[in-house]
Amino acid sequence: MAHYLARKVVIYLLTFYVAVTIDWAIPRFMPGDPVEGLLSRMQAQPGSQEELTGYYTKAFGFDVPIWKQYLNFWAALFHGDLGPSVANFPTPVWELIRGALPYTLALLVPAVLLSFWAGNKVGALAARRKVLDNTALPVSYVLTATPQMWLGIVLAWVFATVLGVLPVSGAYDLSLQPTWSWEFVRSFLEHWILPFSALFLVAFGGWAIGMRNMIIYELEADYSNYLASLGAPTKLVRRYAYRNALLPQITGLALALGAVVAGAIVVEIVFSYPGLGSLTLSAIQNRDYFLIQGIFLFLIVGVLLANFIIDIAYVFIDPRTRIGMQGGA
Amino acid sequence: MTSMRITKRRTAGVLGAILALGAAAAVVFMTAGGASGAGSQTGTATALPRSQTFYMSGNQWSPNNDLNPAKNWDYITGLVGFAYETPFRYDPLKDKFTPWLASAGKWKSKSTYVMTVRKGVKWSDGKALTAKDFIFTLSTLKIPTHAQNPLWRDTGLKSVAAKGNTVVFKFGANPGYQQFDFYRYNVAIVPRHVFARFGKTDLASGNLKQPIVGTGPYLYQSGIGTQTQTVVWKKNPNWWATKALGLRVAPKYVVDIKNGTNAAALANFVSGNIDLFNNFAPKSAIRGSAKTYFSKAPYHLGANTTWLFPNTTRKPLDDKQFRRALAYSINMSQIIDKAYQGLVEKASPTGLLPIWKKWVNPSLVKKYGFSYNQAKAKSILAAAGYRDRNGDGYVENKDGSKIDLEIICPNGWSDWMTSIQIIASSAKAAGIKITPAFPEYNTLVDDRGHARYDLLLGNDRQYSNTPWTYYQYIYRLPILSNQTSMNYERYENAKAWNLTKGLDKIPSSNVKAYRSQMAKLQTMFMQDLPAIPLWYNGMWAMFNTKHWTGWPAAGSDRQFTPSTWRNYWQMTSIDMLTHLRPA
Amino acid sequence: MAVSKPGAGVVTTAGAPAPAEATGPISPQGAPAAAPITARRSEFLYFAFRNWKFVVGLAVVLFLFALAIFGPMLTPHEPLEFGGPTDQAPSSDYWFGTTSFGQDVFSQFVHGLRATFLVGLVGGGIAWLIGATVGFTAGYRSGWLDDVLNMITNVVLVIPTLAILIIVAAYVNVHSYATEAILVGLTSWPWAARAVRAQTFSLKTREFVDIARISGRKTRQIIASEIAPNMSSYLLMMFILLFGGAILIGASLDFLGLGPSESMSLGLMMNNAFLSSALLLGSWWWFIPPGVGIICIVGGLYVMNVGLDEIFNPKLREV
Repeated sequence: MAHYLARKVVIYLLTFYVAVTIDWAIPRFMPGDPVEGLLSRMQAQPGSQEELTGYYTKAFGFDVPIWKQYLNFWAALFHGDLGPSVANFPTPVWELIRGALPYTLALLVPAVLLSFWAGNKVGALAARRKVLDNTALPVSYVLTATPQMWLGIVLAWVFATVLGVLPVSGAYDLSLQPTWSWEFVRSFLEHWILPFSALFLVAFGGWAIGMRNMIIYELEADYSNYLASLGAPTKLVRRYAYRNALLPQITGLALALGAVVAGAIVVEIVFSYPGLGSLTLSAIQNRDYFLIQGIFLFLIVGVLLANFIIDIAYVFIDPRTRIGMQGGA
Repeated sequence: MTSMRITKRRTAGVLGAILALGAAAAVVFMTAGGASGAGSQTGTATALPRSQTFYMSGNQWSPNNDLNPAKNWDYITGLVGFAYETPFRYDPLKDKFTPWLASAGKWKSKSTYVMTVRKGVKWSDGKALTAKDFIFTLSTLKIPTHAQNPLWRDTGLKSVAAKGNTVVFKFGANPGYQQFDFYRYNVAIVPRHVFARFGKTDLASGNLKQPIVGTGPYLYQSGIGTQTQTVVWKKNPNWWATKALGLRVAPKYVVDIKNGTNAAALANFVSGNIDLFNNFAPKSAIRGSAKTYFSKAPYHLGANTTWLFPNTTRKPLDDKQFRRALAYSINMSQIIDKAYQGLVEKASPTGLLPIWKKWVNPSLVKKYGFSYNQAKAKSILAAAGYRDRNGDGYVENKDGSKIDLEIICPNGWSDWMTSIQIIASSAKAAGIKITPAFPEYNTLVDDRGHARYDLLLGNDRQYSNTPWTYYQYIYRLPILSNQTSMNYERYENAKAWNLTKGLDKIPSSNVKAYRSQMAKLQTMFMQDLPAIPLWYNGMWAMFNTKHWTGWPAAGSDRQFTPSTWRNYWQMTSIDMLTHLRPA
Repeated sequence: MAVSKPGAGVVTTAGAPAPAEATGPISPQGAPAAAPITARRSEFLYFAFRNWKFVVGLAVVLFLFALAIFGPMLTPHEPLEFGGPTDQAPSSDYWFGTTSFGQDVFSQFVHGLRATFLVGLVGGGIAWLIGATVGFTAGYRSGWLDDVLNMITNVVLVIPTLAILIIVAAYVNVHSYATEAILVGLTSWPWAARAVRAQTFSLKTREFVDIARISGRKTRQIIASEIAPNMSSYLLMMFILLFGGAILIGASLDFLGLGPSESMSLGLMMNNAFLSSALLLGSWWWFIPPGVGIICIVGGLYVMNVGLDEIFNPKLREV
């Protein structure tokens, strides 16, 4: 057990190291000097070009050899310092991410968990039940094949443009500031429901199909037939099947996190939701390399951490894993 | 039966986790929301009263957290104009300076300018505005990395000193009058007693997290933070201009909305949540209660000229005859119709903005100007020796080598992308081979700075008090290894640059000398065409007349700049607010 | 053996400590391929065309494929040409209406389908090749090679595709859908590699593989002749899912404006419509077709996939 965990930790640390190194290298390989980009945006007068170039080169830490920049980067990282934003100099990248993160979490966490829960339930119910299967399954296929941004656009068009019942952009009404008030919470939920639905529905379809297919495998497995032949009630058989089918779904959840985050980015953009997705888009548009680097670092750590937790949780959920580990490579 | 209990417990567990995490997310969100509002935030538990609130958007794209009036490309909307004010204001539509924080200003001699500090102006913390605040502000401009440092470096300014309630500017011989005029309405005076504690680096490029103590018509209320959607300003009941000039801003609250995407902003405008919309919007959005400055095409004032820059270090773009032929070949009306649906206007062949029309000499334009004419383009090419020698439909260089030019604009700038496609196809009709390409913005900036391009578009220069800013943009010498903000075409013409410098040194009061210098510059420009003026990019402004009326309009007594863009408040955008009426 | 893309279902056998799958819900193909190939093929066709999911999915995909090939010949308008009237609803002249720039939406749609199929086929194909190679190698060899491949898989899994695309878009000046497809392919294989690895892992302990090993055959030969054929249906289904996945990723990139802009794709159509406020001005004909097109292709592929699953695995057929 300890051996297994240690091994996992080493692999994850190595992955982290390589991924972060690649992330560090990204801005350095980008064409176009961020300092020159900034000077151009400032409309700097040519007379002060030299001073400004010198100043900003130093401020971004480009005045030392590349290997030293690399070491400085790691040193700063352990102090939680992701460097300054280029476009919004000298705001620290971390401050920008911290501002956006709550909005993304407020969308993502409920969307991921609820879709996982509801999708698995519906999928399990639909399996081997003709009427439900023939309705839930096609709907799920359409949903899972839908690009999130398109679903977002269509939802916005229907509920905002055509029906005019829900707002189409932002996280709360423009006449409000975030405070604890009934008015604010209501406005927040009104703005939240459409982007949440876009994320939820697409993911829901995927989980429902996955679970439906898994359950059918389980119900056809020997142990199910054996149980049934012993006279166990169908309910009980299905319950066992559900438990077994849930395990691979959890693995799928870990693998899907990267894609889920990507979905959140495009949906946020459709609804101008002020989370990490919108921040990413503006960072891309401004070629704010440090901000792009910081956001991606954040995503990398998040996805790795979630994978790690799921990997470890697996050991406790699935007894077979514990047995396998002892003989495993 | 154990299994049943386990299943139930798990279901409950999953649900519990969802609720817990949801609640946690909400809590995190709330704390962050609360914490992001800086120091002096006074929470608004209820919505602002719609009838007394003015909603605007179109300026702010970056986070609402830059409080440095020196960073005139990044500070929050209204920081200069609402809080900090300038010694003068400038009305570009009437070409008139209005004394503002300075109650008067005058050239005492050829090289001495004296500004009188207005009496009775108080900072919002109650302290009086004095000449010392002026001196302090001007001295911060001495920092080499300060964006407005050219006031000291390029105008010949030698010293500033306080004398009673006046500020005395001493220049060397031949001051740069035109540039100095520019700074008269662009330097925002800051309170010495608040700003003195900042170091040089902060003053030039920091975000300056300080309580906002200004002199202007609005007081900061809330919204500063990295991810806030809006900044709220509240009317300053003690604004000096009410007593001194009888001016009152109409809205009690002004809310500036940060842009997410154009589409989202437009959605807010259409649903009536925004009163003043300063982003590009399709023509079909101008309907119902949505109004514009002009009631017919081009609907918007022209805010800047869009130029076609040829790289004059490359063949055949170094040849003025070739550039001329190219200028004749461009089907401008197609660009205006298709890329802009008639929302922009063709530029004068001089490239000068409509506000400078009085300096444009029509007879010179008639003689040296150009307009869309394919036959003329072909005949100029033929006369200059560009012929199609291999019968591929395109002309070749004089030495017989192929001409294959590339025209670029940043990927995603859809109106420009459409425009350069039209330029390429109409040049093709005249026999000039041009291919459009859409590199990433930063690649383009890099290539532009280092002359690694053939043709590109640029529109960096806005309204100002003087065409000098335009000629500097075109002619500035010497050429540096990296041209970050002007003379992208790397056009080396010492004579033209000397004429430009000469223009700077003529005071606006000397109309005759000014006019003759302008005539020389125009002639030279149209003969050489170092850059080809295309159209006037609009000062996009749509007004929602549902909640506010009395908007700026052509032909009325309200000819003001209807823009929230930085540097426009100290022109006449403030007058827009003093003339509005609740609907 | 339910193969499905994470997020759009599950990778039955993926992830987590390997031995788990050995006792997991699946046993791919059961016994080694004993039946003659020809017999299997006709059997396959027999069941295939009696499976409505497979038939419907295939028909939809083939129809859109034909539209991508022949569609551009049906319209006199070029996708980027600004000739037409602006913002017009569908008419006999412009079947899908026009954009606010006066471009023909139908022409954009059919050209967009081409780009979509290109990105799907090439991107999915590359991801399939890499995924299968990495998966076979990792699963069969185990030990340090497995660890290294696992780490690479994890790195690719967590590195955001966006970042890499920005760099390449800036460096490789040739903006083309082929470039985009290659990029999508190079970054979307990790789940496939994990799935194949797990399958291989469970197969390699079978007797027929042991026999091959004892008889002294090389690893590559064993994978090619013993393991891969036993997973052929699995690999086919994996390709279909990668195909659909690549289309969705490509569309997201185009929607963000990170794809090529010289030619048309369905994602770019959505981007243009969105940026031009089509949903606000009610030009539904501009943004509805690209989404429906993608749903039909990707949904068709997924439904086909379930059909295939049922064909290969009789137990799953409807009762």
